[in-house]
Amino acid sequence: MLEIFEMGFMQRAWLAGLLMAITCPLIGSFLVLRRQSLIGDGLGHIAFAGVAGGALAGCSSVVSAAIATIIGALAIEKVRTKLSDLADMVLAIFFYSGMGLAVIFTGMNKEGGFNLSSVLFGSLMTVTSSDLWIVAGLAVATIAFVIVFYRPLQYLTFDETSAKVSGLPVESLSLLLAILTALTVALSMRIVGLLLVSAMMVIPVACALQTARSFSATIMQSIIYGIITVCLGLVLSYYLNLAPGGTIVLTSTVLFVLSLLIGSTKKNNPVPDVHCKVCDEDQENKCNHPEFPEYKKEKGYRGHHHGRKTIKE
Amino acid sequence: MENIISVRDLGFDYGSGWVFHKLDLDIPRGDFVAVIGANGAGKSTLMKMLAHAMPPTIGSISYYGIPIEKFTEWEKVGYVPQNPAKMQRDFPISVREVIALGLVEKKKLWQRFGAAEDEKIDKALAAFQLTDLQQRKIGELSGGQQQRVFLARAMVKNPEVLLLDEPATGIDAASKVALYDMLGEINANQGVTIVMISHDLELAAQTAKSALCISHGICFRGDVHEALQHHHKHGYFYR
Repeated sequence: MLEIFEMGFMQRAWLAGLLMAITCPLIGSFLVLRRQSLIGDGLGHIAFAGVAGGALAGCSSVVSAAIATIIGALAIEKVRTKLSDLADMVLAIFFYSGMGLAVIFTGMNKEGGFNLSSVLFGSLMTVTSSDLWIVAGLAVATIAFVIVFYRPLQYLTFDETSAKVSGLPVESLSLLLAILTALTVALSMRIVGLLLVSAMMVIPVACALQTARSFSATIMQSIIYGIITVCLGLVLSYYLNLAPGGTIVLTSTVLFVLSLLIGSTKKNNPVPDVHCKVCDEDQENKCNHPEFPEYKKEKGYRGHHHGRKTIKE
Repeated sequence: MENIISVRDLGFDYGSGWVFHKLDLDIPRGDFVAVIGANGAGKSTLMKMLAHAMPPTIGSISYYGIPIEKFTEWEKVGYVPQNPAKMQRDFPISVREVIALGLVEKKKLWQRFGAAEDEKIDKALAAFQLTDLQQRKIGELSGGQQQRVFLARAMVKNPEVLLLDEPATGIDAASKVALYDMLGEINANQGVTIVMISHDLELAAQTAKSALCISHGICFRGDVHEALQHHHKHGYFYR
């Protein structure tokens, strides 16, 4: 049984998987709630263009992918603020443009010399020690960013206009979030695979949204769902000899269906407004105050235009 | 009396002509201004400019005599939007968390919330009768309760000015009266200056101290009843 923890490649897979289970849902919580669930995929396609462009120019694929995704993420963020109601359309345009650019760069590269599949669709089972350091560094940066800017990020995710009115640097924070997302995609996809990075940014958060009742609970639960998914997925893939990335993603989908069932039984009905408008007593206490029209007539709405007079009980 | 907000020669153009232009406006401390006008008249545009969420095409706005671009004391300004929770019914945020957002400031970006902030939030919850609902998801509340939450969020930092963008949109008649009642008391008892966009002319007339009506790019500032007459005369309902 313990052989799953004994072999070096499996130990690295566990560590990389668990770090991704923390990093991706943490950053994904903000992305999903800002209706940018597909940004991981969109940036993956831009990274594709970066890798192909890097191969053409003869530079490191990781560096070129990182540069391309950061530029792409900043551009998406800028256009999103201009066309906020059409955010999904903006993402789709970048998605296809990245793909188009990648196809052109690949066609221009007559020398070949790079394996696109290995660069874009790495596997948990082939993680090296240096890869682990990269994933760990990313996890530390993401956790630190969220801890330091938790409340401003929460504010701009929930109500961007009010956050702006409060004087918060909404644009700078959004750009930082975009850069962190881009780095997560560019650096992790080669190590654990684009499919896993994108899915882990969305599905654990989707699970948490069915069961959590607050913002902080959503983040914590999405990380817990992420960890459960990675653990179950790795065990299943090891013993059933399946591809780890795909198994983890399908495990998370099953978990989502379960959370949907749990969530539907937990949902509360809307809270009725039960306070009496006169004395603020709960209506169940039967304060016997008249209903609203009488209240309005008797309690001082006299049509006076110099301010609402204080209600005298 | 000290002017909290001063507007000079303000104009805004989306590219298809002036929404309004040459607007001069002084809002003294303690005033309660109802901004009225037909849909599309430019009320929300003006409110966004007052809230520094949108720059004007021409003209200037100042708070306490300081140009809005250089004004930094935004903790003195509370803002209540048109109900954002209605647009995001399933957003996972509790009533307590929403009110806590009112205490987030640029100066305190790094600061953790402690006992002092918790006490302020508890007070706001109690003042707006939300203590029992503090752990509920905002989307589970009725429209009237949600607006009380947003008012509590704006008031938790004890602002001197409240900017309200159609706060009574989508709530029932009884809750509207209660909301206007609450705003009247905030203005009268706490001396908070209020600028509020309103479509409820009767309630606005009874609660506000003065009015600004925007119609066909022209702004009329004055007594509430005069402003209402101006509105009816210039096609408030049929623009």
